[in-house]
Amino acid sequence: MNLNFHNNQSRLTMTINSKLLTLSLLAVFALSACKKDKEEDDHDHGHGHDHNEEELITTVRASFTHSVTNDVVEFSWVDTDGDGGNAPVITGGDLQAGSTYAVSLLLLNESVSPADTVSNEVADEAAEHQFFFSTTGGSLTWGSYADADPNGLPLGLATVWSTAAAGSGNLTIILRHEPNKGAAGVSAGDITNAGGATDIEVAIPYTVL
Amino acid sequence: MAYLAVPLASLAQPASCALVLSGRVIDEHDGEALSCAEVFIPVLGKGGVASDQGLYRIEGLCPGTYLVQVSHLGCESLMRELKLTASTTVDFKLEHHAEELRELEVIQKRPDEQVGQPVKSVDRADMERASGTGIAELLARVPGVTVLATGPSIGKPVIHGLSGNRVLILNQGIRQEDQQWGSEHAPSLDPLSADRISVVKGAASVQYGSDAIGGAVIVEPVELPRLAGMSGELRGLGQWNGRGGGGSGLLEGGVKGITGLGWRVQGSGRYLGDSEAARYTLSNTGQREWSGSASVGYRDHRRGFSLLYSRFERELGILRAAHIGSTTDLQRAIESGEPWYTAPFSYAIDAPRQTVTHHLLRVQGSIALSDRNRLDVNYGYQANDRQEYDIRRAGRSAIPALDLWLATHTAEAVLKHWIGKHVHGKAGVMALTQENTNIPGTGVRPLIPDFRKESIGAFIIEHAPIGERLELEAGARVEGTLIDIRRFDSEGELQTPEHRFTNSAFALGASYQLSDSARLRLGLASAYRPPHVSELYSEGLHHSAAAIEEGDASLGSERSVKATLDAEAVLFGGRLRIDATLHASRIDGFIYLRPAGTRLTIRGAFPVFRYTATDALMGGADASAALRLSKRFAWRMRGSTVLARDQHQDEWLFLMPADRLENGLLFRTASGGKWRAFEAGAAHQAVFEQRRIPVGLDFAPPPSTYHLFALSASASRTLGKGELRIGLQANNLFNTAYRDYLDRFRYFTDARGTDIVLSVRYAFGRFAEQSLHRAG
Repeated sequence: MNLNFHNNQSRLTMTINSKLLTLSLLAVFALSACKKDKEEDDHDHGHGHDHNEEELITTVRASFTHSVTNDVVEFSWVDTDGDGGNAPVITGGDLQAGSTYAVSLLLLNESVSPADTVSNEVADEAAEHQFFFSTTGGSLTWGSYADADPNGLPLGLATVWSTAAAGSGNLTIILRHEPNKGAAGVSAGDITNAGGATDIEVAIPYTVL
Repeated sequence: MAYLAVPLASLAQPASCALVLSGRVIDEHDGEALSCAEVFIPVLGKGGVASDQGLYRIEGLCPGTYLVQVSHLGCESLMRELKLTASTTVDFKLEHHAEELRELEVIQKRPDEQVGQPVKSVDRADMERASGTGIAELLARVPGVTVLATGPSIGKPVIHGLSGNRVLILNQGIRQEDQQWGSEHAPSLDPLSADRISVVKGAASVQYGSDAIGGAVIVEPVELPRLAGMSGELRGLGQWNGRGGGGSGLLEGGVKGITGLGWRVQGSGRYLGDSEAARYTLSNTGQREWSGSASVGYRDHRRGFSLLYSRFERELGILRAAHIGSTTDLQRAIESGEPWYTAPFSYAIDAPRQTVTHHLLRVQGSIALSDRNRLDVNYGYQANDRQEYDIRRAGRSAIPALDLWLATHTAEAVLKHWIGKHVHGKAGVMALTQENTNIPGTGVRPLIPDFRKESIGAFIIEHAPIGERLELEAGARVEGTLIDIRRFDSEGELQTPEHRFTNSAFALGASYQLSDSARLRLGLASAYRPPHVSELYSEGLHHSAAAIEEGDASLGSERSVKATLDAEAVLFGGRLRIDATLHASRIDGFIYLRPAGTRLTIRGAFPVFRYTATDALMGGADASAALRLSKRFAWRMRGSTVLARDQHQDEWLFLMPADRLENGLLFRTASGGKWRAFEAGAAHQAVFEQRRIPVGLDFAPPPSTYHLFALSASASRTLGKGELRIGLQANNLFNTAYRDYLDRFRYFTDARGTDIVLSVRYAFGRFAEQSLHRAG
C-alpha cells in the first residue's frame, strides 16, 4: 500500500521535473538570445570596440593676434595619444611688450583621423562651458571675454589680453564643463565660485620681449 | 543550544500566569508515542520534552495566543497557533519517517553550518526594523560588518575591514556575480526576497570557493511551501528623506492533492528622490528599484526540485557635486567643505547615473541516494547588465560611458554523505564560466577589458562530533581558474593575454558546548582570490577619484589564513546574553592601490595609483551584549574594532573601518489593548575618528568622530485573517551633519540628515504565524 503510493508520487515528480527542465532550458535560451541581439547590433555599427576615445581632447591651440600688426603667435599643448603613453608637447611663444592681443582658442581631438574640432562642440554648448585664465610671473594679463553664450554670459573661446614690461612666466587655460555661471564673480572670469568639472587645465610658458 | 535561540522578546512577559498546556505527541502514521519530542513556545523561550509515553507539560503560561513549535528527530517540525484562555490539553501529531532517517535529518538541518566560523544572522524582524535601506546598511546591524558607501545611494558590505571582491555573496544558493570590483557597484539584489541573511565572518573558501577572504554573505532563500493553502505578505514604506517609499508583495501556495508542490511569486519596488543632508540637498541622488521573482518546486523527504527566476533592476543618480574632472576640482571640493552644486529637491535622475539589471535563473535538484546520502545539484545562470552615464559633451550624456554585460553560468554537485556517526559531511565539484563584454558604442575606452573566465573546483568537508559537547570540522578545496583577456593597447592593437591560477584552501574548526548556555567556536581557515581583471588591466583616469589607476598584469592570487574565536553565552538565568568574536588574519599578496608618482594630462596633473601587492596583517574584535534590566526593559550594546597593517610598507592599511560602539534601550510589552508585541527603542551610535591611516595616501584627513541617535516604535494587531504591523523609525534624530571615513563621497558632502520611515506590513498564512512567533 505504502510502496504503491510512493511509486505514484515519483512518477508524478518525474513528469513535473521534465516539464520544468524544458521550461528552464527555454528560459536560458531566451536570456542568451537577449545578449546575441546586442552583439549583432554592434557589428552593424562597424567598429567592434571603443578603443578610440570619442571625447578626448588632445590639443589646445591659443592664437595670439597682435591688435596693431596682426602678427600671430601660436601657443599649443598637444598630447596626441591622450593620457599616458607619450608625454605632452608644450609649445610656448614670444609676445611683444606693451601690446594688446586678441586670443582665439582651438580644441582638437587628434587621436582620430581626420581630427575632431572639439571647440565646435564647446561652442554649440556654450551655455554649459566657460574658460578661465590665469598667469604666473611676467606681465601678460588676461583682459576680458570677447564672446558670449546664448544667455549673454561669457564663454571664452575668444578673449582679449595685454602685455606690459618684458619678462616671462606661465599662462594657464582652464575649461569648466557645467559651471555655475550665475555665481558671484564667475561672469567676470573669477573661477572661485564656478564649480563644474574641469575638462582642460593646461599651463604654457610665454615670454614678453 | 535552545537557550541561545531564546529571543530577547521573552524577557517581557506579564505577571500572574498559571495556565498549563499539556498533552501527547504521537506519530501521525501509527499513533505511537514520540518520546523526546520537544514542545516549545519560542516567544516565551519555554518548552517541555515529551516523556516515554509522549506526554508533555508546560506550566506557568499567561492567557494569550501563542505559536507552539513541536519537533522531533526525523519529523518535520510543526508550528501551530494556540489560543489559551484556560489550562488546555492538546495532542500533536507529527509525520514521522523511518528511524534511520534521524541521522539524515541531522545533516539536513544545517546544510551549511560552519562549525568553527562565527555566523551571525539578520532575520525578517531585523529587516523590518531596518526597512528602507539596502542590503549593506541592513547587514551593518551585525557587529563587525560596516558599509563602504559612495554617497547616499550606494553601499557595499564590509566584513572585518574587507569588501568588494573579498566578500562573497551567495544569493539563493548561487554565488552572486555582478561586477563587484567597483566601489560604486552595490550588490544587485533585493534583501526582502530573503528570509534571513547570514554573515560568515571568517575565511570561507572551502565552503564557497574563491573571493570569500573577508567572509561571505548568505542570502538564504525562503523555503517553498509544501502544503496547500495560500500565504502572503504585503509591505508598504514611506520615507521622509528622499520623499518616497516602496512596497513589496509576496504570494505563495501549495497545490491541493500534491503534497510537496509549492509556488511563490514576489515583487517589490522603491522610488526615492534626492536625499537631504543636514544642511543641503544632495542633488541627483534619487533611486528607483524594481525586482520580482517567481519560483516553483517539489520536495519530499527523498527528492526535491525547484526552479527560480528573479530579476532585479535599479537606476540611481550619483551626487552631481561629486562629478569632478581634476585634482584641482577635488582640492576645491575638500577646501570648500560643502558641495559646489545644490539644487532644490527633485525626483529627477540625470547624469552621472547608473542602471543595472540583474537576472538570475536557478535550477536545483536534490535526491536521496540512500537513507543517509543525498546528492544536491545546483545550476545558475546570471546576467548582469550595467550602464554608467557620465556628464559628457555634445549630447553624449545619454550614451553610457560604461556598458557591460556579464554572463555567468555556475554548476555545482554536492554529495552529503554519512560515513559513520563520527564522520559525516559533504563533498562536491563546481564549475563556473563567465564572459564579460563591453557593449560597443560608448565612445570611451573601456575601463576593464572583455574577458572570459573559467574555473573548476572540488571540495570536501567532514564533521566529526565527539561526545555530546565537542564537534570538529575539517575541509579542503582546490580550484583552478583560467582568464582569457581581449584588450586593445594604446596603439589600438588587439592583445589576448591568458592568466592561470591554481589555489587551494583548508578549514579546521571546533565547536565546544561549555554548558547548556555557552558555546565556543574556534576556527582556522584559509581563503584565496585570483586578482580581478580590473586589478590586472585597469588603465586610465578614474574621474570621481581624480586619480589614474593602473593595473599590473603580473599580480598573483591573494591568499589568506584567518583564525577566529567566537563565544556565545547566556548568563545569570537568561538576563545577560553575550556574543564576542576575536579574529586575526594574514593575507599574502593583498592587492591595493599605491601612489606611483603623477602624470600630466590635459586636465592637469593627476596622481597615478598602481595596483600593488603587499602582505597584510589584520586583527580585531567585535562584540554584542543584551541585558534584561526589568520585565519590560532591556539594554543592548554592540561594538567593533579592526586593525590592519601593510607589512611591506610597515604602515596602516588604507580605508579600514573606524571603531564604533552602539548602545540601545529597548522597551517591549506583549499586549496593550488590541495591539500586541509593542516595541520601542532608543539607540545611540558613536563612530570614532579613524586614526590608523597610512601617511600620504589620502586626499583629506579622516572625518572626526560622530554620534547618531535613533528612535523606533512598532506594534502588531490582528486584522481579518492576517496580522498587521506598523512601525515608525527616526534615524539621525538630531539632523547631525557628519561624514563617514568609509564613504567615498566624504570629500564632497555630508552624509544623510534626519530620516523618518513609516513601515506597514500585512501578512497572512504562515507569514502571519512567523511574525507572531518572533514578535512576542
